[in-house]
Amino acid sequence: MGKYLLRRILQMIPVVIGTTLLIYALVFALPGDPVAAMFGDKPINQSVAAQIRSEYNLDKPFIVQYLIFLKNALTLNFGETFSHQPVIDVMGRAFPVTIKLAIMAFIFEAIFGVVFGIISGLKRGKWYDSVILVVSLLLISVPTFVFGFVLQYFVGVKWGLLPVTAGSNPGFFDLLMPASVLGSVSMAYIIRLTRSEVSSNMTEDYVRTARAKGMSSKSVTMRHILRNSMIPVVTYLGTDIGALMGGAMVTERIFNINGIGNTLYQGILRGEGPLVVSIVTVLVLVFVICNLVVDMLYAVLDPRIRYA
Amino acid sequence: MQKSSKLTVIVAGLSAAVMSLSACGGSTGSTTSSSSDSTNSIINVYGCEPQNPLLPTNTNEVCGGNPIDLLFAKLVAFDDKGNAKNEVAKEIKPSDGNKKYTITLNDGWKFTDGTPVTASSFTKAWSYGANLTNAQLSTSFFQNIKGYSDLQKKGVDKKAQLSGLKVIDDKTFTVELNAASSVFPTMVGYTAFAPLPDSFFSNPKSFGQKPVGNGPYKFVSWTHNDSIKLVKNKDYKGVAPAQNGGITFKMYTDTEPAYADVQGGQLDVLEQIPPSALKTFEKDSTVQAYNKPGSVTRAFTFPSNLKHFSLDSKEGNLRRQAISMSINREQICDKVLNGTGTPAVDFISPVIPGYSASLKGNSVLKYNPTEAKKLWAEANKISAWSDSDTVEFSYNTDGGQKDIFDALVNQIKNTLGVKAETKPIPTFSEFRANITARKMNALFRTGWQADYPSAEDYLTPLYSSAAADGKGSNDGDYKNADFDALLTKAAGSSDEAAANKDYQAAEELLFKDLPSVPLYYENASGVAAQGVKNFKMNWKNLPVYQELTK
Repeated sequence: MGKYLLRRILQMIPVVIGTTLLIYALVFALPGDPVAAMFGDKPINQSVAAQIRSEYNLDKPFIVQYLIFLKNALTLNFGETFSHQPVIDVMGRAFPVTIKLAIMAFIFEAIFGVVFGIISGLKRGKWYDSVILVVSLLLISVPTFVFGFVLQYFVGVKWGLLPVTAGSNPGFFDLLMPASVLGSVSMAYIIRLTRSEVSSNMTEDYVRTARAKGMSSKSVTMRHILRNSMIPVVTYLGTDIGALMGGAMVTERIFNINGIGNTLYQGILRGEGPLVVSIVTVLVLVFVICNLVVDMLYAVLDPRIRYA
Repeated sequence: MQKSSKLTVIVAGLSAAVMSLSACGGSTGSTTSSSSDSTNSIINVYGCEPQNPLLPTNTNEVCGGNPIDLLFAKLVAFDDKGNAKNEVAKEIKPSDGNKKYTITLNDGWKFTDGTPVTASSFTKAWSYGANLTNAQLSTSFFQNIKGYSDLQKKGVDKKAQLSGLKVIDDKTFTVELNAASSVFPTMVGYTAFAPLPDSFFSNPKSFGQKPVGNGPYKFVSWTHNDSIKLVKNKDYKGVAPAQNGGITFKMYTDTEPAYADVQGGQLDVLEQIPPSALKTFEKDSTVQAYNKPGSVTRAFTFPSNLKHFSLDSKEGNLRRQAISMSINREQICDKVLNGTGTPAVDFISPVIPGYSASLKGNSVLKYNPTEAKKLWAEANKISAWSDSDTVEFSYNTDGGQKDIFDALVNQIKNTLGVKAETKPIPTFSEFRANITARKMNALFRTGWQADYPSAEDYLTPLYSSAAADGKGSNDGDYKNADFDALLTKAAGSSDEAAANKDYQAAEELLFKDLPSVPLYYENASGVAAQGVKNFKMNWKNLPVYQELTK
């Protein structure tokens, strides 16, 4: 187990270096010139532009820029944005907000998704199973931003139940609406996944055997059906943490949340290479770590799985 | 994770409690001294994260420019209509045919750190902005001041001063210009000409994060990606004092959530209308709407040597006029912009002194399909328009211009019966890069927001020969000696009305040559929450922040 863990952690190093290189190359390849864009429609003073380029190393060839970035990143200096803020400060402000949002969305989708999925799966064909199925289909097929705008208009503007936008330093109630919007699609998938797992496990031989041995219906459900049904659900949930953080861009724009998605969006528009690369690298790390945790959880849920 | 977040909540709660306690103490003190509640209220207005530190000479975009303009009082201030009034200046006296100005300052002006505003607060600030070593984005505004070119050499000492600025005494300085300019007393009202206190020069970097000014408001804090907070500056002596207790710029990355916040009462003022609300905002009962012609102009420009449209050929001239006349500007303003644009009839704007709707030759901006077809046919006689030729329009898709250009293309197809297409470019930065490198081979979107309210600021930067070939914003490389002569004449004129006559004569030349085709004036349109009083917008398409109360 320990050896396996170490190997997985060592594997992260090439993954991270590879992604930073790739993202840096992509940002570099973005057409347009961020320094020229700083001048807007106004005449560009070429000597001033040259001065700014050299300040941000933008006048150097791609690979030199990348190596400078990598060298500085090792000492936790991720560079500065064009408004002279250290990238690390920008991330330090944005990540906690997104993490809060993602955790709330995660709890939302995990609880509601699994509970509704189990109810649906155990009582297939009942009217509430049909209702749950239709609602989940609706959530999957309607794009997030439509759902977000509709909810924002009615709950926020019309009825005034929750704040319209979250703004900075958002609290629980500020994030309640955005988190449910963000988690809604995944919740619908989890409902469907749990439902099909539960209902297929119910017809398995070991469930019939357990019933024949005289186990109470409650312990058959809890110990045998649910435990086995949770393996794919946990996989889904695990990979979803990364997706929730990286995919919060749409939700963050609708509700004006100053998180990672919004920061990344602005960074791309303004051509801020170091900012974009640093954020994406952290997101990659989150993905990799979540995957590792999910793999570890398998062993807990299913004793047949062993890591050497 | 759980534990630490609980801890943060407790800490945050405690500090919030402490802050509200101290705020209580502060407010009881101030209520005794001031008269009514509404003059103390803080107004929340739409803002966005500045792209650069908050320095007057390094800010050329609205996110940083709007707060900076409230923080610094310049030599002159503009009223809502765009008329310049002396503010810090007592007098700006021209001599030597508008080539030299003697500027006297009013007494008693102070920066919010208590230091006085003197002549050298201006001269040192301008020299800093002009100096290449400081790499300021607004450098080119100082190019007409003598000594500018000396400060453009690589490696120039960062303390080097503009030789054309001379301090006579604490309250007087003179400015020598390279070329006569009658517009100089108006130009010095632009952001880049703000004075700076001595504390700036010792540490520009930290100043950029917490600026110290002399304007109607005083800087409190800048929380990145969140807000910029300003409060009323009690020592301000200028022409537009704050009627409210302060302004907080709440930052957004998009106007959609800001609009929803105005509807819900979480934001007081938004000076833009998101596309989704264009049709409804004037009828929306949850907000107060404002919608009047503004100072931003929208046009498209022809690359100077585009095939069939070249500037120096008879054929190009005919075709440019035909294109302009086949566009139904009323229809675009009505149907596409839902009334948030006003059809253009000149090259400046209705809110700028010098505007006229009756210039000779402006009929070229009127929809006239018969005449357009006739001119196009005439051009065909000079050089045939083959089936493989297409009228192409290029624009950047991140600016929300798609519908307008789709409409343009359709109108041209319908009127002239030729192939027409759009060539969208994803980002503004790529779009501008292509224009700057003169790699555009299609008609391209242009627009202009004046920096100071003068006809000169629309004509010189966009159409003078001195601004062509990449030296300015004359993207179509239009060169006309007669036009330049009129601008020079206006610049040497001592009387504003006479100068405007010359600018109008210059515009009439533009109608003949049509280097670019004006489309519409973007309206100053915005919304305010219910309960906000005195909401109106100025010549710069911005709310008059000082007068807002609630």
